[in-house]
Amino acid sequence: MTPGNSWDERISAFLFSPSQFLSCTTSESFLSELLDELRDEKANDHKKVLLLSALLEHPTVLCPTTSAGEGTAQELISILTFTPQKSISLKCHIMMAVTNVLICTSCLASQTKVAEDYLEFLFKTIQDTNDNTGGLSLQPLRATACDCLREMESCNPGLLSQKLETLYYLKQQETTILHQSYCTLYTQSLKNAIRLLTQEKDVDTSKLRSVLGGNEGFAWKTTGLPLSMLPFNMMTQVPQLSTMLDCKELKSILSLLLEESYLMTPISQALLLRGLIEIVAVVPAISPSIFKSQLLRLFGTAEVELMHATLLMKGTFTDSLFTAEDEHFLLKRLVGMAQHPLLRVPEKLFYMDCILHFPENRPISSSGEECLPVLVTPRLTLSLIPTVFNDSATMLCRLNLLCLVHLEADEEEEGKGLAYLFDHLMALLKIVDNQGSREMVVTSFRAVFIFLIHFNYMEKFSEKLVSSLCDLYSRHCRLAPHLINLADRIQECLEDSLWSVQLLKALQKCIVEMPPLQLTLQDLRWHLKILGRVAQESQIVQRNTICLLLNVLINSNLCERKNWQVGNAILAVCRNLLQHPTLSQMFIELADLLQHMTKHYEDTDIQDHARFYYTLLTNLSWEKLAGVLAKGPEGGQAKIRSLSAIVAENDGVTSCLTVHQTDGCVLQLMKIHEPGSQRATTGADTLETVDKQDLFEVYREQFKTPGFASEITLTYNLTHTKVTDPRFDKMFTICLHFDLNDSHYAEVSDIYVPCLFRDRKAPQVILKLKPYQPYPTSLRLSAIFTTEDGLSWHTQLPDVKVSFPEIFLPIPSPLGASHEFKEEVFDLMWNATSSGDPDSSATSLFCFKTESDKLADLIKIHFEGYQIAESQDQNAWKVLFFLPPRFHVLLKLRQAEDAVQVSIAMDNWELLPHVNAYLQNITAYCNMTTT
Amino acid sequence: MSIRALWVVSHDKGESGKLRFSRRYPTVEFRAKSLAGAQYVAVPEDRLIPQLLLTELGLIDPEKPYVAVRDDCARQQRCPAVELHVGGPSGRTLWPLLTIHQGGLILACLPLVEAPPDPRPPLPGIASVSQGLALLSGLQGFLCGTGSKLPEPDVLASRLAALPSVLLQVCPLGTPLDVPPQAGALPATVAPGPGGAQKQPAWKAGVHRGRAVVSVALTEMVRSMQYGNRNKQDMWDVHGMVMCKCEVEGVLPNVTVTLTLPPNGSPLQDILVHPCVTSLDSSILTASSVDENDGSAFSGPYKFPFSPPLEPFRLCSYTSQVPVPPILGSYQLKAEENLLKLSVVLKLHESVRNSFEYCEAQLPFFNRHQIGSVDVKVSSGQLEVSKEKNLLVWVLGQKFPKSREVTLEGSVNFSGHLFGPTDPLCTDLTAYVKLFFRVPDLTLSGCCVDQHSVQVYSSAKPRIVTTRELVSSEYYIWNSTGDAPVSSGLMIL
Repeated sequence: MTPGNSWDERISAFLFSPSQFLSCTTSESFLSELLDELRDEKANDHKKVLLLSALLEHPTVLCPTTSAGEGTAQELISILTFTPQKSISLKCHIMMAVTNVLICTSCLASQTKVAEDYLEFLFKTIQDTNDNTGGLSLQPLRATACDCLREMESCNPGLLSQKLETLYYLKQQETTILHQSYCTLYTQSLKNAIRLLTQEKDVDTSKLRSVLGGNEGFAWKTTGLPLSMLPFNMMTQVPQLSTMLDCKELKSILSLLLEESYLMTPISQALLLRGLIEIVAVVPAISPSIFKSQLLRLFGTAEVELMHATLLMKGTFTDSLFTAEDEHFLLKRLVGMAQHPLLRVPEKLFYMDCILHFPENRPISSSGEECLPVLVTPRLTLSLIPTVFNDSATMLCRLNLLCLVHLEADEEEEGKGLAYLFDHLMALLKIVDNQGSREMVVTSFRAVFIFLIHFNYMEKFSEKLVSSLCDLYSRHCRLAPHLINLADRIQECLEDSLWSVQLLKALQKCIVEMPPLQLTLQDLRWHLKILGRVAQESQIVQRNTICLLLNVLINSNLCERKNWQVGNAILAVCRNLLQHPTLSQMFIELADLLQHMTKHYEDTDIQDHARFYYTLLTNLSWEKLAGVLAKGPEGGQAKIRSLSAIVAENDGVTSCLTVHQTDGCVLQLMKIHEPGSQRATTGADTLETVDKQDLFEVYREQFKTPGFASEITLTYNLTHTKVTDPRFDKMFTICLHFDLNDSHYAEVSDIYVPCLFRDRKAPQVILKLKPYQPYPTSLRLSAIFTTEDGLSWHTQLPDVKVSFPEIFLPIPSPLGASHEFKEEVFDLMWNATSSGDPDSSATSLFCFKTESDKLADLIKIHFEGYQIAESQDQNAWKVLFFLPPRFHVLLKLRQAEDAVQVSIAMDNWELLPHVNAYLQNITAYCNMTTT
Repeated sequence: MSIRALWVVSHDKGESGKLRFSRRYPTVEFRAKSLAGAQYVAVPEDRLIPQLLLTELGLIDPEKPYVAVRDDCARQQRCPAVELHVGGPSGRTLWPLLTIHQGGLILACLPLVEAPPDPRPPLPGIASVSQGLALLSGLQGFLCGTGSKLPEPDVLASRLAALPSVLLQVCPLGTPLDVPPQAGALPATVAPGPGGAQKQPAWKAGVHRGRAVVSVALTEMVRSMQYGNRNKQDMWDVHGMVMCKCEVEGVLPNVTVTLTLPPNGSPLQDILVHPCVTSLDSSILTASSVDENDGSAFSGPYKFPFSPPLEPFRLCSYTSQVPVPPILGSYQLKAEENLLKLSVVLKLHESVRNSFEYCEAQLPFFNRHQIGSVDVKVSSGQLEVSKEKNLLVWVLGQKFPKSREVTLEGSVNFSGHLFGPTDPLCTDLTAYVKLFFRVPDLTLSGCCVDQHSVQVYSSAKPRIVTTRELVSSEYYIWNSTGDAPVSSGLMIL
């Protein structure tokens, strides 16, 4: 395999699933590999473009923080600078990657230096209008620069609001096909600048003029402008500019943009139109009639995005731009387009949606709900009636529209239209009857649902539907789940409708009356599903169901077939019957049935269950039975849930057996801060009289004991997060699982916490880490736990961050070692390290300024417990940090005249950056200088 | 007005979906996040997309008759936009996901919702939806061409491989700027724009160099449903389109194409025009198929001034209601044991030119055994039995006889060993004859483009080619003794 190939695979694996890909590497190391490869002059452009796609698509995965983003952007910009002039496509990709990184890591929003520089670079790039200096070959770079600037303006509205004059000038200058890019960039900036003005007080003509003629720097301080203010309608008020403004200049700018819109692609035209509509909507001094010249062209358009923009215009300006005739025309146009043979299906569906939400000049209701415009009549929508030749989506969409139309329409035409719709449903059911495809079955049931939602109150239709569906069921029992689903959904949507009960009752009758000889085992399974559902309806008498079941059991060889599934399905029906309010009226029959099963059903499990039900039936009152068997409600007691799950196959089983995923983060670990909490590890040997020379040897000898001083111990409280979901108030058997993000530490085994209650003290979690390399790290943490209702949950916790000082331990000296011993070891080690092997050890110097009392505080806060010795006059200290498994950082602090000098020695030079960062961090409040 | 992500998923029968292409726009995602606030739902990783998408489109587990998450009757697939259930059955959803499905290929994109997410805004209130639809349509054209079938796998793969660079042009940072070029629609000889004061349109990469040719092709499609039944009204309609290819010099050359109707011709309705048309007369747009026809409507001439792009394009399209169908037919079936007696009569209307490029009638038979023996006489043309033995093909050739009437009489015996294809619509005696024909140099509406009416304002005089033709599309004649399905709302009246 060539290296190129493997990058192909790695990048596509990363794009396919960043989380899986990063489970075996870290984002930092992958990012640095990517950047290394991008810097490589030998790699070809094609490969580099591929590498950039990782940054183009998942910048925040690779650069999780602003500072990481800053660094990466800086790297990319330097790569861009060194990319040869001819690699145009690669340069475009790098520019876009930088833009992505800057925006997504908030480098742009927080005005970092690199964002400032890059913005300047982009702005400089677009100044070469008509490729006067760069030549035609650089045109794509300019196009990309325009796009990047526009995206930055979109994400940080107002950024370019002080550059309008320059942008206008550039737009006027440009005559190549890039004119469109400059035009959209200008319009976007203009729109945001005007929106900014609407938020200011006392905007006068000169203010407006100065904005339009603005030629200053980038406006970094315009945060707070929301990204968007659409959608308008007459009911929502948007802040507007004063009507008294003199807007001649702005008006001529807008007119020119409209005039030249013809030069743009339809999609960009729509973008431009929307921008201009937003501007005119907030500048009342400009009349919407400015759009008049474009209207005819827009009315006739075949492009969906232009038609959509026209509808926005209609909704925004209503009768100040559109007459009543225009409105009628537009509506007819939409109806025509919703069934135009030359348009694509998704567009037609969209136009049907537009009819339902048509922006009328004088709407009756203002809610955003589907509501027919007054002008839509049955006659107008005649061409939209659903037929069996339509595809599913079109048919359902048309049916929904027509149902609404006929719901509104007076019944002047003797309900002919409605009768047609019903005939259409019958035609669909007939297709199902004739072995229609699976898709057709689903579509037909959806159609029945739509029709019933609107017309369930019309008895002649609802009754006929019940009988047709029963008829259908008698021939196609496989439709049972569809019928149950339909009954359920109608019951949910129409609470006071009895239709579902009627349907179930009729289905019961149909099943009971079927000739027993025709009964197959497969059909019986479907029947049992239906009967089980029927048994849940308190209004349906159940005696016939029991008789049928008993009859089947007695008169067939079912009991001898030992079929557990069928037996269980019968028991499921019985279970529902046990909860039925009319239980007392069918007591004897049900007892007979259960007894028969107990005796004759040749499956032990079924027999046992039947016997159990029989005992329940004969010993408990109905209320108690219902209480025992009722499905545990959400958050109910775990016992009931598990009992009802045992007694029959139902949804409870799956929900009990599934591990659910929490929506957000519900648990967290809070570090317990105890200064000096790190206890020194002591060696096994007690120190006896040892020769001074051998002290160091004795010290080093300790590390030969396996596992000596190799662990750090961190203590946390396990607490709830701020999310107050009552379901999680009490959690049990919490298993915390840690995943390493790097290979510097040994795997951490799971930690079990017995329980966590919101109103009790938080339990302590002791995390033991075994470093291979003592670097700062973070651990991914997830938990599995159980809640009171018996459900199991999986949740992701915030990463556990282990900072560098958290790894420090005091010097691990033998038991009973004196101060002198420690100081002796310190000195010996210092000499060894400073004169030691430069490949492994290192020395360094760090200086900072501070007052002497502050220095004492600093030493007390940070070095207590690690301090080895203090000189008499309190101006020199020795400090030793032990870092498991065997590294040491030694500090000698000395208060000199003008600064504190910290001499550093360590036996692992790779620790130096971490030590430096640590010292900088703790001395940050002092004036410091480092060397 | 941007899209958050774009996917191409292929899905072969009986297989799980395969992600063929994916593109995410993190800066748009950044905006989505800040717009939606607490209601923000992140886009799932690519590895999860095919399964989620297929569930929503009802395509998972095709062998299972009922799957609750797929087949719920309250889940309405009646919009162009579906919901992606990203967080399990009760979890959060991503909406609106726009999809286009062709063959085994699914194109999907997720537009940015630039409005408060709660309550959910209506689809037309979201600007990016139409942009997404336009982009998807363009992508479909780029990947699949104009035909209804998918291209060969290797062609498709090479087009998919070209997608990243195409998207760099048309949708670099998530905001669509243009649609991808149609597959195979590369213009001939193009030179870069000349520069100078005249601004170059964004939809025209350069200027044409070479001989000036303007071709205008008018194609009309006629649909018909004929029942031969007093209770069911026959239906026919016509729609047409004008395709242009203009190889003319200049940055913005002016061309005008004029459509004319014969005297008393019924007006062209529902006219849709290409965006390159510079101006429109309001009277052109007045006629609509939704309206009642009154005789006073504007009936031409229809002038379309435009400045053409380099590639071929559809200048305009229209519908029309013509007084008579070009071929009037009747179909009668009688069942006798294993035998069907057939009788078909087709009459060519006298106003139609009797000169076909091809004309063929197909008589399919469903839900029966294969055809055994055929004893059928035709008054003209030849009769063939298809290889699968479930279809009679009556090839009528180039001309109807002088009487303009042809007949087919006889009986068919379904005694084959195998069972033929099934169809849930055509059971019992529900059956149809489907006509396929093409007549060059004819339009039913009478609409035509006169060669001399094409005006080109350019220095070189161009060669002008105009053609017209009539093509059948969904032309059915139903058996009048069977129960034919209703196909049009006109019957309510």
